[in-house]
Amino acid sequence: MLAVLGVAVAAAMLLDMVMLATGMRESFRELLLSQGFDIRLAPKGTLPFDTDATIPGVSAITSVLRTNPDIREISPVLGGSIHIPVGALDVSAAVLGIDPTVQGDYEFLSGQDVTTPDAIVANDYLLQKLGARFGDTLDVAAGYDPQTRTYSGQRKLVLTGKVRFIYGATEQPSAAVRRETLEAMGGGARRDRASLFMVRVRKGANPDSVRNWIATEIPNVSAISIATAIAQVDQRLSYFRQLAFILGAVSLFVGFLLVTTLVTVSVNERAGEIAVMRAIGVSRAHVVQQIVVEGLATTFIGALLGLGLGLLTARYLNSILSAFPGLPVAIDFFLFQPRAVWSALGLLIVSGIAAGIYPAWRAASLPIAESLRREAIA
Amino acid sequence: MLLPFLAFALILQAPQTSQRTIAIDEGFAAEAHLKVGDRVAISARPDRSAPAESVIVGAIVRRGADPSEVARGDFVVRMHLDQLQGISGYGDRVDRFAIATRPSADIDRTLQRINHVAFGFRAYRSRDIAVETSRTFQVVSRFHRAIGVITIVASSIFLLCIMILKVEERRRDIAVLRLMGISRSSVVRSIIIEAAVVAVLGSMLGVVIGWVVSLFVNWHYQALYRTPLYFSIITPPIVSLAVSLSLVLGVGAGVLASMRLVRTPPLALFGR
Amino acid sequence: MIPDVAPIVSLREARRDYALGAERVHALQGVSLDVERGDYVAIVGPSGCGKSTLLNLIGVIDQPTSGTVTIARKRVDAMSDREATSFRLHNIGFVFQRFYLMPILSALENVALPMAEAKVPAEERKARAAELLAYVGLSSRQRHRPSELSGGEQQRVAIARALANHPALLLADEPTGELDARTGTEIISLFRRLNSDGTTIVVVTHDEDLANAARHKVHMLDGRIVDA
Repeated sequence: MLAVLGVAVAAAMLLDMVMLATGMRESFRELLLSQGFDIRLAPKGTLPFDTDATIPGVSAITSVLRTNPDIREISPVLGGSIHIPVGALDVSAAVLGIDPTVQGDYEFLSGQDVTTPDAIVANDYLLQKLGARFGDTLDVAAGYDPQTRTYSGQRKLVLTGKVRFIYGATEQPSAAVRRETLEAMGGGARRDRASLFMVRVRKGANPDSVRNWIATEIPNVSAISIATAIAQVDQRLSYFRQLAFILGAVSLFVGFLLVTTLVTVSVNERAGEIAVMRAIGVSRAHVVQQIVVEGLATTFIGALLGLGLGLLTARYLNSILSAFPGLPVAIDFFLFQPRAVWSALGLLIVSGIAAGIYPAWRAASLPIAESLRREAIA
Repeated sequence: MLLPFLAFALILQAPQTSQRTIAIDEGFAAEAHLKVGDRVAISARPDRSAPAESVIVGAIVRRGADPSEVARGDFVVRMHLDQLQGISGYGDRVDRFAIATRPSADIDRTLQRINHVAFGFRAYRSRDIAVETSRTFQVVSRFHRAIGVITIVASSIFLLCIMILKVEERRRDIAVLRLMGISRSSVVRSIIIEAAVVAVLGSMLGVVIGWVVSLFVNWHYQALYRTPLYFSIITPPIVSLAVSLSLVLGVGAGVLASMRLVRTPPLALFGR
Repeated sequence: MIPDVAPIVSLREARRDYALGAERVHALQGVSLDVERGDYVAIVGPSGCGKSTLLNLIGVIDQPTSGTVTIARKRVDAMSDREATSFRLHNIGFVFQRFYLMPILSALENVALPMAEAKVPAEERKARAAELLAYVGLSSRQRHRPSELSGGEQQRVAIARALANHPALLLADEPTGELDARTGTEIISLFRRLNSDGTTIVVVTHDEDLANAARHKVHMLDGRIVDA
């Protein structure tokens, strides 16, 4: 029973590590693809929203992009922060300046979208902090000097709707306005600039060739395909993948050790029985097969238990890692995928078989007469 | 260590020009194939149209051990303050001041006095800031701790399992001892002692293996991320936790298994 | 001093039943037996006749379902496990078919083991263990482990171990079962020597020669003594 539990724990850890190794990448890919945008343009040498840098000449870039028939939609986004005085406090939030007809940054939940220049939509966190309702007018500032406690780029905006930001970090108060509005609030410094372009290609077109075209035509931006973005994030999170690999390998090894010990003890107890089977003509291979099957049964039951256990611990570990600052809420480190389960199960079963074979073969190869004599019941 | 001195020497030897210098980190130097004395153009904006200044790489430095920086793959460039203020358009502003006090200074009092006269900024102890701002590090720490706990629980179960199996294997020996007139308590006691010895030796071996692996982990990740940060440290509390835990588990398993066996009549242990 | 003339072993109507699945097996069916002090008794009979069961009762490693067992003037049929264990330690020496020596101990340490349990001081038990090994002809093999000893040597160490605490009774279950004829003969003569030196011996055996070496033979069949 304890042995089954031991195998279950090894199985759980193995499952978690397989989920960790593949989870981030898959989760991130799903997130990037969720709105259907295939390519992102960021300031040269950076990843989207990595820095405060912006891309100048939005109109010029948009015109260039429109010349490519494979490009179906272009969504320029300007990022920044806003400050809203509420009583004696200053509430700050992230803000995106978007075009509501093509935006791919938020999911509209209720109220009205930013159809007018003076409209602003917010996520739940910001709404709670502000204690505001749809229709309320807010004094929104683009800049705040803590030294003199003065606001700059202030404008009255009307709260019109509630949204959920797809790439939003955990518990980050965020809002969205029209891009022209945010540009205007930022003064001359932000005119005709964007933090990011999101580009959707025509169905059937090859995103990579479009990306290459963009890289040639617009050299002062970094054109990032989903594959590149994933690869770069992968590199940053490589530590977790390596950890996953090492811990996974260790769990597998320990599970193997456990099953080997179990099978060894079991065959030692049954040496007489095995000798009798061999004496009556059962082949070595059949004896080994029987023993291995028994070891496999333990492994299998343990694996099933481990599946449940693994999912529970994965959820717990995921909740810890989700607190990473700046990490989009939608990203999971431990993603449940049937493929992960099958991989883990497969590894365990192979391990269980291997663990049983050696002791079983040894037991089946002992000289029959000697075993019989030694083990015969008095 | 030699490089900054070298760089300094090179600078001293260089003909007098009004060329400003910058310091870059090792990773950057390796990636961009830069060496001391190379001339580069530096700008505060990524677009090629922005104005750039020509500077010379004056030194190549190793970065400090900041855990939150580690995986980001950023490069760090050090410039003279006025030059950075100039090219970034920051003007006469800074993000922060770092203050070193005299050894005899009363830091709390100094903090109080600064904050009393501060206008638009606050003073903190470096230590407090470090804890507050390294949330990435805290998340990773929590994760490591969780993995650590899970590993301990898993290892405990494995240990119990294997110890119990091993003691079960010796049921015949135990039966013989009982038949010879050795009491239950003597049998249990000898198994406990044996389990304790195995646990102590095993955990000592484990500590040695852990130490070697720790060395390797640090060597690997320090090279990979080009940082002096220690990724794994084995401290006396960790060693004593590991040894005491395996002792408790090993002995516990021995007790459990042997109690079960001595309660079984010796004849049954023989299989009769 | 009045010599002790009571039998050292005395069974009265001892029965031993086992449950075997749904059936009840009557391994011993009302056995009564006396073994005198200094005697050498061989219990013989076909397989399944109950001779090992009888030996187990005499050795206080099993208890009768009914009837009485008295060893060295003490009723042993209703002892607690602790009492039985202690009794065995001080009064009974066991020799098994398969020797059952502790593999990690040397011959000397194996022999000293029961004395250690009986809290005999270290020096004394070492001396006695050496003495016993000399008695069985293994002085030169004191430091050897069981794996380094032949079958016959292992059995002699086992016999020495059985004698460690000056037992009143030496019990042997098929002591020559694992040995070849020549080695078996050595063991048989050792038993004879032990008996002539005063040790009371009860053996269970299929070995004709061993049985013939005994002073008395007890024949068993179907859980009963048919000829004593």
